[in-house]
Amino acid sequence: MALDDDMREALDMFITEARDLVQGLEEGLLELEDQPGGGETVNAVFRAAHTLKGSSGLFGLQHLVEFTHVVETVLGSVRDGVLDVTPGLVSALLPCTDHISAMIEGLAGGRLEPDAAQAADGARLLAGLEPYLADGSAMTAGPVVAAPDAPPPEMAWRLVLHFGEDCLRNGMDPLSFLRYLSTLGTVTGVVTVTDRLPEAADMDPESCYLSFEVDLVTAAPKTEIEAVFDFVREDSDIRITPAESQFDTYVRAIRAMPENDRIGDVLITSGAVTELEMAEALRIQQERVVREGNQPVPIGEILIEQGIVPRAIVDAALTRQRRTTETRSQDTRTIRIDAARLDKLIDLVGELVIAQSSTGIPNSAGPDTSSEAQGEVMRLVDEVRHSALSLRMVPIGTTLRRFERVVRDVCMELGKEVSLVITGGDAEMDKALVERISDPLLHLVRNSLDHGIEPAGERRKHGKAQQGTLRLNAYHDAGNIVIEVADDGRGLDRERILAKAIERELVAPGTTLTDSEVYNLIFEPGFSTAETVSNLSGRGVGMDVVKRNVTALRGSIEVETARGIGTTIRIRLPLTLAIIDGFLVGVGPSSFIVPLDRVTECVELPPGPLGRDCMNLRGEVLPFIRLRQIFGVPGQPARRQNVVIVEQSGQRTGLVVDSLLGELQTVIKPLGILFSRVKCISGSTILGNGEIALILDVGPLIAGHSDREQTRQAVPVG
Amino acid sequence: MAKTILIVDDSASVRQVVSIALKGAGYEVITGNDGKDALTKLNGQRIHLIISDVNMPNMDGITFVAEAKKLPAYKFTPIIMLTTESQEDKKRQAQAAGAKAWVTKPFQPEQMLSAVAKLVQP
Repeated sequence: MALDDDMREALDMFITEARDLVQGLEEGLLELEDQPGGGETVNAVFRAAHTLKGSSGLFGLQHLVEFTHVVETVLGSVRDGVLDVTPGLVSALLPCTDHISAMIEGLAGGRLEPDAAQAADGARLLAGLEPYLADGSAMTAGPVVAAPDAPPPEMAWRLVLHFGEDCLRNGMDPLSFLRYLSTLGTVTGVVTVTDRLPEAADMDPESCYLSFEVDLVTAAPKTEIEAVFDFVREDSDIRITPAESQFDTYVRAIRAMPENDRIGDVLITSGAVTELEMAEALRIQQERVVREGNQPVPIGEILIEQGIVPRAIVDAALTRQRRTTETRSQDTRTIRIDAARLDKLIDLVGELVIAQSSTGIPNSAGPDTSSEAQGEVMRLVDEVRHSALSLRMVPIGTTLRRFERVVRDVCMELGKEVSLVITGGDAEMDKALVERISDPLLHLVRNSLDHGIEPAGERRKHGKAQQGTLRLNAYHDAGNIVIEVADDGRGLDRERILAKAIERELVAPGTTLTDSEVYNLIFEPGFSTAETVSNLSGRGVGMDVVKRNVTALRGSIEVETARGIGTTIRIRLPLTLAIIDGFLVGVGPSSFIVPLDRVTECVELPPGPLGRDCMNLRGEVLPFIRLRQIFGVPGQPARRQNVVIVEQSGQRTGLVVDSLLGELQTVIKPLGILFSRVKCISGSTILGNGEIALILDVGPLIAGHSDREQTRQAVPVG
Repeated sequence: MAKTILIVDDSASVRQVVSIALKGAGYEVITGNDGKDALTKLNGQRIHLIISDVNMPNMDGITFVAEAKKLPAYKFTPIIMLTTESQEDKKRQAQAAGAKAWVTKPFQPEQMLSAVAKLVQP
């Protein structure tokens, strides 16, 4: 920026002023730290930052504007009571005032731009303020100056201006706007429309009753013409349309535009409609849907009806939109897949698997001559299933890399040094799973940073590298995907966990537990060893929720830890949610599938009195549920019944069934909406013989049963 | 005769830079350090446009605008408020008080000139 003498003088003035402001800022902050309540001090501090920003902008000192903008935003939150003054906040802000001061001294020394070291300093300080910003939205500031392209051609416009009655009282003179228009281009005609003029007796001399129709020829874009009337838009009606002679120009412009499948974007990009007008049209569209409850009127129709664009231009945009849709459908390299269609495909393939498996049953009538062909079919079907499933597979790396930012931010907040190492980002898993595992992972990462990795000082004392390491690793293992969150922190404290568990009455005192049993206690509801609930981990999501989420995805979670060396949390998930390994059982004519990972063993039901609901399993009492009874299956139970023993949250329960039919891979088909309230069944599948088997949801089944048991026992018998 | 503009801001450098820009465009300029000071400048002058900051000591911009609007001589005077993007509520208050035009801080002198020119030509 070249400075003439007047500006140089003004800049000197600014520097003097800024020095005072920074000093005021600093003193105010220190005062606030002593007396956090001081309302006037808060105001003064905020005003100082605000003024600094405003003045810097005036001189085009973008680096100062950007920096002080963030400081101002934080102070604004303090003033509005959103943020409390804490020593942490003050110590984050004080170095900022030093930095501002350094930038100003730089100015005084004739440097209008910060040097590299200063810029890096600034970035670091801003990062320190980030936790105090409401949503990070305040990180950018200042005017965005777009470099103009080649001068656009002149266009003719028709402006219809109905000024509001309050216009003059608001200090807005219609004539002054008309005069200003001539600075944008050439006003080729003005017609004054007087049809709003009332009878002389009713006329208020302070009110404006005039409308104007203006013809303007200008190279300025429509948004710029629109901006002329920014100050009167609220109570006036301003219409800016291309003059009729210009329709062709727009139609040509729209035809030449790059692909776009949204008519709104086409119209806005072409300049025929501004974003403000589009927003207004969308509002009208929405309003009508609410009022009339009909299908929304096409946006193009509304734009025409409101007189914003002529039909010819909307039609051109519609054609452009259709062309785009057509060309897109020819593009085969990348596709976007509707999730419902994909699910359908997987369902169909699943059925194919079933159809194929029924032909695999040895035919008792005659020799099996087609076994070779069947083998081939099986192989193909298997391949089809794999490729269909792979459509839903995405690499987990994207999700893991998102944690880089989390780690950086959390470290900043905690003042720890941690490097994040991600390995195995290429491992693929079901998209639905990726989305649902991201929150539990986030919690584990935060937990490791907060409780696992020690502060630098403590690490040095223990002879560890000052910088901690957090590893995220993913790999495939026997049809599962394993995700590890490993830190090299202090490890879990067995004694403390046990003491806490006893205190929380999760474990009876004196119980002997193995190490892994103790470590697994951290997943129990209501367990937390952190002495102080920190901002990070105290967000109400505990390890129990993590475990619950993982279990809901039919996964498992385990801990491996060594005192002083670190902790690894390992999540094991199935690759997809669409296919499970099941255990097929029969009850009378019905078949049920128990998820295989829940089944621990099967035994024969020992003979005993009919009413009893528990049995002796190697000296332990095992409660059981008669599926026949619970699902109301008609008929007599088989002479010899079996018990499938399932485990849920460490609790074992038996399921009494007639027959055990063996393991099978089954494709889960969701139940229809009619059955959405059914608790104990998670889905259904079609068996090789065409019959339907219901898939049991073991958790609710057991929980529901023990509830019923308690109710029954509570009612006195008699 | 050139039109006169009153600039009210507690920052001397803002007043200075805006003055330079406006004088360069052919306006007369007088200044006020805060709302209270500016009120005293209103009498005995013919002022065609007022530019006022919001956050100022002694009397803030919104109170100042409301006071100025009460004076018969300033009933029709356009007022530009200097607002910030982080203060939408202040902008609404200022508009209710009678300042229907605004320039968002931080601004470049050219932006101020174009806002002024829409309302008053020199």
